Amino acid sequence: MKNVLSIVSAKGGVGKSTIAANIAAGLCELGHPVLAIDLDPQNALRFHFSFDSGRTPGLVAADEHNFAQLFEPTNLGVELLSYGNSSEQQRMDFEDLLKRNPNWLKEQLTKLQLPDDAVVVLDTPPGPSVYMSQALLTSSLSLVVVLPDAGSYVSLPQMMSLLEKYCLHRQDFIDYGIIVNQSDQSKTLSKDVLSMLRSSFGERIVGRIHLDQSISESLACGQTALKYAPYSEGSYDLMACAKWVHQRCHGVGGRP
Amino acid sequence: MIKRLKRGIVSTMNRVLKHPVWSNHVLQWLAVLVSCVFFVAFIATPLNTVYQTLFGLATFLLAFGISKISRQRLPALILIVISSAVSLRYFYWRLTETLGFETLLDAAFGYGLVAAEIYALVTLFLGYFQSAWPLRRKPAFMPKDTSTWPTVDVFIPTYNEDLSVVRQTALAAKLLDWPSDKLNIYVLDDGRREELRAFCERAGVGYLTRPDNKHAKAGNINSALAKTNGEFIAIFDCDHIPTRSFLQITVGWFLKDPKLAMLQTPHVFFSPDPLEQNLDVFNRVPNEGQLFYGLTQDSNDLWNATFFCGSCAVLRREHLLMVGGIATESVTEDALTALKMNDIGLNTAYLAIPLAAGLATETLSRHIGQRIRWARGMAQIMRNHNPLLAKGLSISQRICYLSASLHFFYGLPRLVFLTAPLAYLFFGAQLFQASPVAIMAYALPHVLHAQLTNLQIQGKFRHSFWNEVYESILAWYLMWPTLATLITPEKARFNVTAKGGTKNVSYFDWALAKPYIVLLLLNITGMIVGVWLLFTSSGDQAVIFTVLFNMAWTLHNIVICGASVAVAGEQKQLRASPRVEFEIPATLALPTGHRIACHTSDFSAEGLGLVMQQPVPLEIDEMVQVSLFRGDEEEIFPARVKFNRGNRIGVKFHNLSTEQRVRLAQLTFGRADLWIQKWAKTKPDSPLVAISQIGRFSLRGIGLLFTETGKVIGRRLRKSETQETVQS
Repeated sequence: MKNVLSIVSAKGGVGKSTIAANIAAGLCELGHPVLAIDLDPQNALRFHFSFDSGRTPGLVAADEHNFAQLFEPTNLGVELLSYGNSSEQQRMDFEDLLKRNPNWLKEQLTKLQLPDDAVVVLDTPPGPSVYMSQALLTSSLSLVVVLPDAGSYVSLPQMMSLLEKYCLHRQDFIDYGIIVNQSDQSKTLSKDVLSMLRSSFGERIVGRIHLDQSISESLACGQTALKYAPYSEGSYDLMACAKWVHQRCHGVGGRP
Repeated sequence: MIKRLKRGIVSTMNRVLKHPVWSNHVLQWLAVLVSCVFFVAFIATPLNTVYQTLFGLATFLLAFGISKISRQRLPALILIVISSAVSLRYFYWRLTETLGFETLLDAAFGYGLVAAEIYALVTLFLGYFQSAWPLRRKPAFMPKDTSTWPTVDVFIPTYNEDLSVVRQTALAAKLLDWPSDKLNIYVLDDGRREELRAFCERAGVGYLTRPDNKHAKAGNINSALAKTNGEFIAIFDCDHIPTRSFLQITVGWFLKDPKLAMLQTPHVFFSPDPLEQNLDVFNRVPNEGQLFYGLTQDSNDLWNATFFCGSCAVLRREHLLMVGGIATESVTEDALTALKMNDIGLNTAYLAIPLAAGLATETLSRHIGQRIRWARGMAQIMRNHNPLLAKGLSISQRICYLSASLHFFYGLPRLVFLTAPLAYLFFGAQLFQASPVAIMAYALPHVLHAQLTNLQIQGKFRHSFWNEVYESILAWYLMWPTLATLITPEKARFNVTAKGGTKNVSYFDWALAKPYIVLLLLNITGMIVGVWLLFTSSGDQAVIFTVLFNMAWTLHNIVICGASVAVAGEQKQLRASPRVEFEIPATLALPTGHRIACHTSDFSAEGLGLVMQQPVPLEIDEMVQVSLFRGDEEEIFPARVKFNRGNRIGVKFHNLSTEQRVRLAQLTFGRADLWIQKWAKTKPDSPLVAISQIGRFSLRGIGLLFTETGKVIGRRLRKSETQETVQS
């Protein structure tokens, strides 16, 4: 399985699901077959596609045999596998499964025999967890989402060490980047943190998504921003991130 | 097929030229000798009218074919040689065959015309020499280590120009990419305005004044020279806004050439000059300055005779001091300064990369005023610092300076051409002692080859026949000042060209148009007389030909005069601060927190035009925030909506702080790529298009004259009516 993109962050509430859903939609628009998988027990990725998606039992109910059947189509062309509504017991059992086999997800995806240009987008819960390690081990591309605030800035080193542990040494890992979400140049703090991030991470900052009301509204309407407000700056920013992934999938750029 | 033929010709020419045979000195001289013999034979061999006609036709076809090969410099050189030979042939014939005047009247008019023709021929040849081979200098790069870079003072002399204009330039200068400890900006204020001083303090730029305004701009700069000490001086007129890359691109050559005293870059205008405005040809027909900055200066550079043009240039302090600072003996202090530098063996250079842009004069009267100043200045140089007599100049430098100063004497000859056929039509004077057919057979090749050759060398920078229009518009106004200056050079006074402000209404400038109205009416009368002469000729073929010949010439004059009158129809300008059409990525942030990606269609110091992907419901005067981008840089500007139709939105900035104005300048006028994309991008013309274009302007001018006359008569009538009612 060549192209697996994980969307990760050390902190919660930074907009990972929004970014995952929109990048998935953007990649579809760029011509890729796209699978989106929600690895977060909050089970919220589905709301970005429509309110009535998430009717399959979900990832939490997956085993070696039914994995392929759990995906459901969305109106954007993205094949979605939501986490699923689970009882506490189900969730713990599933997490046990993942703990026992750190490569479980990778194996399932390999079995799907996806075409070369397919991209799998993995949404993850914040901070270190069994889901994140599965996601990082499986992925060939990774995007770290931060907000332009102090909390995000101090949490970045933790994320970097996780990338180092799970990704950077792997031959099949292509590249990673940092996306600054909800950036607002009219706020001094936002501006300063962005320039600090730029000076510490330079070219690693591959995307910047402006704080744009359209993005919040799109979720309230059960849609991706790309569909809800295609001409908003937020959509342009998100599409730029999708293009970054698109280029890496085609071998443009990548780690030196 | 034709392409292959062209390529074949070019490669054969190149092979012949690069052949080792040419390095042999004897052969070189032999070739020159043979060429000379042919050249003389070409000029002096007498032919009857029929053969001359055929000969002229064949030569023209040959030249025309060569002009189609390519627009490179070599075919242009060949065309120059052919055109020179054809013109000399005409003049040989003209001087030997056509001057046997029979009456005093004929002689007076006839010699007058010959004199004007000789002037035109001399300037044509000087022009050919001067612009034969544009150097096309490339920028020299600065060393990597910025600690070795020299110190630079930027001077922005100002007198009474609008504060907003000066402010923009000062801010842009502050943003020049140069080590900040090696860059000092000075506003040199001859107006001694407190408001400007306060602004400079806020913006962190130097502010210099002097007790008097002696020697105007030159004096202003010299006084600042004494108070500053940077190794290099960059000078910008207060309305020429530099882009950030200006110094990095220009200073490199000074490090490479230790004798380089001055480097000039083009003057680019982002607002239309009055000719462009009134004829509505902005960005379509190359303006008057384009020829000078696109071709003349670039070619002067080959001869190490680039003129200093007072702004958008860098000078080496040491060398400037060697010639005693900016020259004060001429009203064109800049050209004289460069001449003095060349005279003591220093180099001057030109870089045809637009790195700054400014406002053009916006009324015709100011435009003419500025040209009068240049003309007087060059006449002063001609009189007091004659380049032919200067000690240290090389021959080619002499020719370049002579060409530049002679150029401005076109006033009188141009008026002679505009009235010459009337001498026959009104007074029956025989200006040529030759048949009209013979005149055509000799003169037409002379004129057509000059047009063809100039089209080849100037095509991009000056469209066919526009030279006549530009010169005719100024001819009357330049004639007296240039001639008077030749006699009493000291009387020439300096007048500052004021810029900024608005032409709020369209109006017809009667006072300026007057000479051309007179000329136009004279020529129209000439046409009528011509028709009458035709009717009364009683079939005398010689008379009919002569009348027709003079009528054709008169028609040409009517077209040119009509176009000159059209220029006097001043069109109103819509915005106080001129807009620059340029696309910059932007975002419109609505009060609701929505952000919409878009781009600009144009910008000015006061506002932006935005192009949206779809209409945005915004009320007029609603507050918005507009972000402008350059790469990762983003800056937000508060603005009010002033216009909203379809997917176009116009906004005006609202209460920008000084800091924001700096950032705005950086993202708009200071962009390094700005003018390169826009300058000299008018296409080479087709002569037929140019003729029809000028013809239409002429009709417009004549129409304008009628409607404006009607208006004046109407006003007079109404006035007298009211007076009558008051009396009764």
